[in-house]
Amino acid sequence: MSDKIGIFVCECGPNIAGRVDIDKIVKEISELKDFNDKELVVKKHKLLCSVGGKKFLEEEIKSNNLTHMVCAACSPRDHDTTFINVCKKTQMNPYLYTMVNIREHCAWVIPDKEEATKKAIQYIHGGINRVFYQEELFEKQLESNPDVLVIGGGIAGIESALNLASEERTVYLIEKAPEPGGKTMQGSNLNFIRQKTAKLLNNPNVKIFTNTKLENIIGFQGNFEIVIKNIISNELTEFMAGAVIIATGYDLLDCKGSEYFNFTDKDDVFSGLEIEALMSAQKKIVKKNGKAPSSVGMAHCAGREKVGYCSKICCNYLLKISGYLKTMYPDIPIRHYVKELCLPNKENQSYYNEMKSGGVEFQYVKSLNLNGETVNYTDIYGNAGESAHDMIVYAQAMIPASGSNELAKLLNTDLDEFGFYKEAHLKIDPISTSNDGIFAVGAAHGPADVTDSVIQAKAAVAKISVQLIPGQKIIPEVKVSEILEAYCTGCQTCLQICKYGAIYFDDERAVSVVNEAVCRGCGNCVGSCPSGSIRSKHFTNPQLFQEVKEAVR
Amino acid sequence: MSSNENILVIGSGVAGMEACIMLSKAGKKVYLVEKLPIIGGKTIKNEETFPNLDCSTCLVAPIQQAILQDKNIEVFTYSKVEKVSGQRGNFSVTIRKKARFVSLELCLGCGMCYEPCPVSLPNEWEENLMEKKAVYVPCSGSLPNVPVIDAEKCLHLNGTDRSCNICVDSCMFAAIDLDDKDQIIEIIASEIIVAAGFDLYDVSQIDRFGYGKYQGVYTSMEFERLFASNGPTEGKIITRNGKIPESVAIIQCAGREESGYCSAICCMSSSKHAHLIKDKLHSVKIYNLYSDSCLTDKNYQKFHQSVRSNDSEYIFQSDMKSVKVTEEEGKLKISYLYGKNEDSVIVDMVILANSLKPSNGIGELTEILGIDVDKFGFISVEPYEIGSVETTKAGIFVAGCAEGPKDIQSSILQAEAAVAGVLAIAKV
Repeated sequence: MSDKIGIFVCECGPNIAGRVDIDKIVKEISELKDFNDKELVVKKHKLLCSVGGKKFLEEEIKSNNLTHMVCAACSPRDHDTTFINVCKKTQMNPYLYTMVNIREHCAWVIPDKEEATKKAIQYIHGGINRVFYQEELFEKQLESNPDVLVIGGGIAGIESALNLASEERTVYLIEKAPEPGGKTMQGSNLNFIRQKTAKLLNNPNVKIFTNTKLENIIGFQGNFEIVIKNIISNELTEFMAGAVIIATGYDLLDCKGSEYFNFTDKDDVFSGLEIEALMSAQKKIVKKNGKAPSSVGMAHCAGREKVGYCSKICCNYLLKISGYLKTMYPDIPIRHYVKELCLPNKENQSYYNEMKSGGVEFQYVKSLNLNGETVNYTDIYGNAGESAHDMIVYAQAMIPASGSNELAKLLNTDLDEFGFYKEAHLKIDPISTSNDGIFAVGAAHGPADVTDSVIQAKAAVAKISVQLIPGQKIIPEVKVSEILEAYCTGCQTCLQICKYGAIYFDDERAVSVVNEAVCRGCGNCVGSCPSGSIRSKHFTNPQLFQEVKEAVR
Repeated sequence: MSSNENILVIGSGVAGMEACIMLSKAGKKVYLVEKLPIIGGKTIKNEETFPNLDCSTCLVAPIQQAILQDKNIEVFTYSKVEKVSGQRGNFSVTIRKKARFVSLELCLGCGMCYEPCPVSLPNEWEENLMEKKAVYVPCSGSLPNVPVIDAEKCLHLNGTDRSCNICVDSCMFAAIDLDDKDQIIEIIASEIIVAAGFDLYDVSQIDRFGYGKYQGVYTSMEFERLFASNGPTEGKIITRNGKIPESVAIIQCAGREESGYCSAICCMSSSKHAHLIKDKLHSVKIYNLYSDSCLTDKNYQKFHQSVRSNDSEYIFQSDMKSVKVTEEEGKLKISYLYGKNEDSVIVDMVILANSLKPSNGIGELTEILGIDVDKFGFISVEPYEIGSVETTKAGIFVAGCAEGPKDIQSSILQAEAAVAGVLAIAKV
């Protein structure tokens, strides 16, 4: 069967028809001669996207036995999907269709009707050229494993595991420490985390591996092959999973003895977490000699300048500690040294107001130094001050958990400039990472409190629940790269370029190979290949040249 | 289709839209109810988002398009939920679909009906900084790109001039039907996600800011529209008296004391405003009057710091309530306490970073749903579970600023968490 192409020009009411000469377009395109034995069917329609328009296209495709189609209409952002659906309905391979935008690119931007018409004809001509070089492409379906690996047994990891595990979905939770629980176990709300941990241990669909780290992972979303290792026995365990949640938590910046924080273990200088530990062990806050403090200084933002971000949770927990102290010792002076308060939760301000009206003092400072329990500061107006206390509580910056670099490398995910896991998109996709099927939640992703961690864990649960439905196959990208082995010199430039780890090197044949299940079709490798051996399906050189050749004539 | 396949989402901002997209992927039938004639929420009022200055439309338009093209999502714009009864697994919901008078199926959005319409009105969506006709879309780039007719103001519909059919005659697609009526639609939903968003604190209630009294005083949302390339001035920063400001003061925490909470996003939006103004008007002098800096994301401080170093002079206000705006010889004088001394700056334009408040109408909605609100009027979550996204009524979840002030990514995360809640219930 020889090629027969349908070209359909949409009037879009007055939008296109009012500003370009539709009849002239139809006439000139019909008279085009440079397509050899290929036959053109050129027609106009009032409104291709309407119910009637779609029916018209279907009938034209069937009655003319069209093999290819060009729709000259609006922006593909508006109606590409509409016309692809028409193709699918008539069994025309949608990759043998293309859309030409003669509305936004011609009618709406060129005031002169003749000029606009001329440009529209060129564009449509380019579209016809292109569509003949397009190739049929077919969706593939891949088996997908619904199980999930959770790395880290803190609150974010536990919450993820509890919400994901079911009879149809096994969760493997690995934790480097001997017990799950994470940093929340060091806090004062022990009941909460103990209950969660108990639920975790009782869940038959969660397999917990403590003293364990990730040893190796290869594969892609739906099909990760995972090896974990017990760090005491060195025993290896292998399994498959479809997704990974990174919930490795955070560490705290060590401020002791640093430039601004000059103190030793003997001094009554405590971190927030040390106070929390005191609270859960002794139910009271006392100095190292066991006596009650008589004046407490609260140093905010320790190390904030060094790390380059606000840790978000510290203002609130220092306020909470003020509350404990106020209850225990109603009469002692408590003074916060604050650069700027960060109280984002709607409840926090009331608590702050309560503390303030209860006599807790807030000194705004530009900078401060600790010398033992004495605070030297420059206030917000530039005046120097000094205050002696007999107890200091400080809030140090949250930093990425140790080992993040190695883990990120294993998982082929990006870290941000601070060393936290980088989000796929800060605003609209905040817990996905640069690698499909791998998510980062809780403090692994950036400073977060328990509430944030739980919400992020649930968000990852939702993402996985809709992407990896047990029993459902996954459909990878169709417009992927392919490497022509005959031309590949084996230089491996593409391996360095590919963000998604979609290219591997076949040592035996000494060529690079694209894993089509992982490739997202970005085309970066195509441009990087010195021998021109990589082509991007649906964006091949002949397709692009043919289109551009006419459009820029 | 059994009822546990149907979910109702109320509100089509970033949180509501994210929930819809995910629920559809999970194979659910979703009903999305939006009170405005367009979807997209407040995000699309911004030209650019902090801190990376991503274009909002570029972020949101693909999501809006995906919603409108998704066969699993039935969108009710210009609609409201009127009645809800039943419980988790089986809520009966009554939706009023207000008469739009323009067919969503037949209209192309060509806009030929606007110009001939004889009625001009203030455009609320544009913060009343420009006018619209009685047949209108709120802004260019509206999705769905189909106008609506204001029945109270249309001469034909309000009875002033029954013979006026200009819009009907101007439409080449017979898309306008002046006999259109409200429709009542009954649906069954197994779960509900409330993503009703926020409104801004009415700063005209705070006398000392002079809002509504002095022409040069703007709210943050008014500035967003003034800066927007699809807004009233096509992005030119011109004050109401037609002048390009030589100096601008941005007053942060406007209404924080009055509302009783920190609104979490205004420090960053104020930094963004300072940067955007400086970027457009190089010689402008900008002051940010601040009291704290709430930088809730690891990516915020760097941008904030660069604005403080390069774009604006940050002035610490030791008492938020001491800040006062007065007019002197056509200029605006901002007086404030600096330490214990009174100080002031003189500027041409003032932008008030007003706090976020619960969405207008949240009271009525929560009553219809039978769920609790907190002392501020935001929707309460179930109190005994840390990180809960479920309201005080089982099966009804909340996402985004309906629960409290938050930025775009936190709204999206909460919406995703709400979806996890819906899916978990469906599994039981």
